[in-house]
Amino acid sequence: MKEYLIRRLLFLIPLLFVLAFVNFALVSAMGNPFASMLQMPGMTRASIQSLLELWHWDEPLPIRFLYWIKSIFSPSLRGGFSTSIIGTTAMDLIIQRLPITIALSGISMLIAIIISIPLGVYSALHQYSKTDYGVTFLSFFGMSMPVFWFGLMLMYLFSYKIGIFPTGGVHSLFININNDLVEFSQAPWIRRFLDYTWHLVLPVTILVLFQVGRWLRYARSSILEVKNMDYVRTARAKGLSERKLIYKHIIRNGILPLVTFFGLSFPALVGGATITETIFAIPGLGRLTYDATMSQDIFVAMGAILFLSIFTILGSFIADILYAKLDPRIRYK
Amino acid sequence: MAQEETFSYWKIVFKRLIKHRIAMVSFIFLLIIIAMAVLAKPLSLGNDPYTYVSSVPWSERVELASPGPGHVLGFDSMGRDVWSRLLYGGRISLFIGIFCSLLDGLLSFFIGAVAGYHGGKIDEFLMRFTDIMLSIPILPIMIVLSAVIRGSLFTIVLIIAAFGWMQGARLVRGEVLRIKNEAFIEAAYANGLSTGRIIAVHILPNVLAPLIVSMTIAVAANIITEASLSFLGVGVREPIPSWGNMLNGAQVYLIFAPWLVWWPGLAIFVSTLAFNFFGDGLRDAMDPKFYSRKGR
Repeated sequence: MKEYLIRRLLFLIPLLFVLAFVNFALVSAMGNPFASMLQMPGMTRASIQSLLELWHWDEPLPIRFLYWIKSIFSPSLRGGFSTSIIGTTAMDLIIQRLPITIALSGISMLIAIIISIPLGVYSALHQYSKTDYGVTFLSFFGMSMPVFWFGLMLMYLFSYKIGIFPTGGVHSLFININNDLVEFSQAPWIRRFLDYTWHLVLPVTILVLFQVGRWLRYARSSILEVKNMDYVRTARAKGLSERKLIYKHIIRNGILPLVTFFGLSFPALVGGATITETIFAIPGLGRLTYDATMSQDIFVAMGAILFLSIFTILGSFIADILYAKLDPRIRYK
Repeated sequence: MAQEETFSYWKIVFKRLIKHRIAMVSFIFLLIIIAMAVLAKPLSLGNDPYTYVSSVPWSERVELASPGPGHVLGFDSMGRDVWSRLLYGGRISLFIGIFCSLLDGLLSFFIGAVAGYHGGKIDEFLMRFTDIMLSIPILPIMIVLSAVIRGSLFTIVLIIAAFGWMQGARLVRGEVLRIKNEAFIEAAYANGLSTGRIIAVHILPNVLAPLIVSMTIAVAANIITEASLSFLGVGVREPIPSWGNMLNGAQVYLIFAPWLVWWPGLAIFVSTLAFNFFGDGLRDAMDPKFYSRKGR
C-alpha cells in the first residue's frame, strides 16, 4: 500500500508541473498585460519597460514560467501571483474564493451521492419496474439538462415569480433580527448559517440534479452487471438467502467501481460549478476564472485555473488511493 | 462468410432498433429537429435572422418585442426575429454537435486502436495522457482557450473536439485488447497483413458498434458544451446565431421577456435528450451480449 501511494505521489508532482506550464503558456497567449497600461495616464514607454523588467516579462516563456512558480511559493516576490486589475494580489483572491467552490461542489456532490446510490441500486435490483423507468428518466433528464438554462428557469420561477429564494450571491448584506437590520458579520452564527443555506438552495439543487443523472446511471449499470455474474448465480443455486445475496454479494461488489466514477466526476463537477457560479453570482473560483478571462486579468486567470486543476487532480488521486485501499487487486499490479 | 455475418448482425440491430419504442420516439424528434434546421429558410416566415426588424428600442417597448403575428416568438434585444434565429441557430448547434462527434470518433478510434494494438510504451504513454485529459477541469480551460483564440466557427469545433475523445479512446482500446488475441487477428498477421490493414479491416468492424453508440451520446454532450461556451460569450460569436449565444445575456431580461430564455433552452434540452435516448436505444440494439443470449 505504502509503495503504491509513493508511486502515485511521484507521478503527481511532474504532472502538476507540466499542467502548470501548459496553463501558463496558454494564458500568456492572451496577450501582454503591460501593453494596455500605455493608455493609463502618467505611463510612459520607459516606465512600462522598467515594469516589464521588474516582473521578468521580457524574458523568454520558460524563464518567466520559473519566476511565476517561484512567486507561488514566496508571495512577497513580485512577478507572478501578485497582481490583479482589482488591486489585491491574485493569490489573495484565490484563497478567498477556493473555499466557496469547494463547499458548493462538496455539498452538492454529497447530496447527489446520498440520493443516487440507494436509488440506483434499488432500480437495478428491480429492473423494468415502474421505479426503474422513473429512475432512468430522471437520470436522462439530469444528463441532458443544460445547467445554465435550468439555472435560469429555476431563478425565474423561484426568485421572480414566487420570490422565495434570492437571485444570487452567497449571503445578504444585512439580516433582519427583530425588525432590526444587523450587518451580516455581526449576526449570530445560526442566522448567518441559515442565510448561507437560503442563498445556496437553488445553486445546490441544480448541481445536484446535474450530478444525480450521471451517478444514477453509473450505479444502476454497475449493479446490473454484478447481478448477472456467474458467482451470483452460483450463490443463488447453492441456496443462499436472497437478502444475504443482495447485501453481501451484489451490493458490495457493485458499489466498488463507483469509487472510480467518484474520481472521474470532478472535472464535470467543476464545469457545472463554474456555470452555476456565473449565473448565481457566487464568488467562487469558477466565476473568478470566467471574470478574469473576460477582463484579460491574466495572472488571476492562470492562478484560478491552476488551483481548479489541483482540485480535480487531487479528487481523482484520492479516488485512486481509496480504490487501492478497498480493492487489494489494484495494489499488487 | 464473414461478409454475410456482419450483414446479418446489422440487420438484427436494425430490427431491434425499430422495436425499441423510446429510441424510435427520439429518432422521430431528431428527424423533426434536423428537418427544421435544414428547412430554416422556408420555415422562417420570410424573416431573416440577421436583419434588425424592429427599429423601436427594445428595452423601452417590451410589448413591441413580444410574440405577435409574423413574428411568432417576438424579437431579441437587438430587434431581430427570434423564430428565424432559433431555426438558423439550430443549424449551427447541430452542426457543431454532430461534426465534433465525428472528429472525436476518428480521434478516439485512432488513439485507442494504436494504444491497444501496440501495447507497451506507446500504450502506456497514450493512456497516461488520456487519464490526464480526463482529470483536468475541461470547461474552465475551454473558456480560456476560446477567449485566447477568438477565431471562427471552425476553431470552436476544434476546441470542443480536442477535449472530447478520451472516453471513446478508452472504449476502443478496451475492445481492441479484448479481440487482439483472437484467432482471426493471428491469422491475418500470419498472412502477412500490415498493421494498418489489420486495424482497418479486422479491428474497425469489431469496435464500430460501441463506437457509434458513444459517438451518438457524445453529440448530446457536444451540443451542451457549445451552448455553455456560447452562453458565456466565448463560443459561437454574434451575429451568427446558435442556441447557446441566443441565451447570452438572457439573464438580464429574464423578468421582462422570459420567452427569450425559454425557447432556445428548450431546443437544446430536447435535442440532447433525444440524442441521449437514441444512443441508449442503439446500445441496447447493438449489445452483442444481449444478442447472443436471446439468439441461443
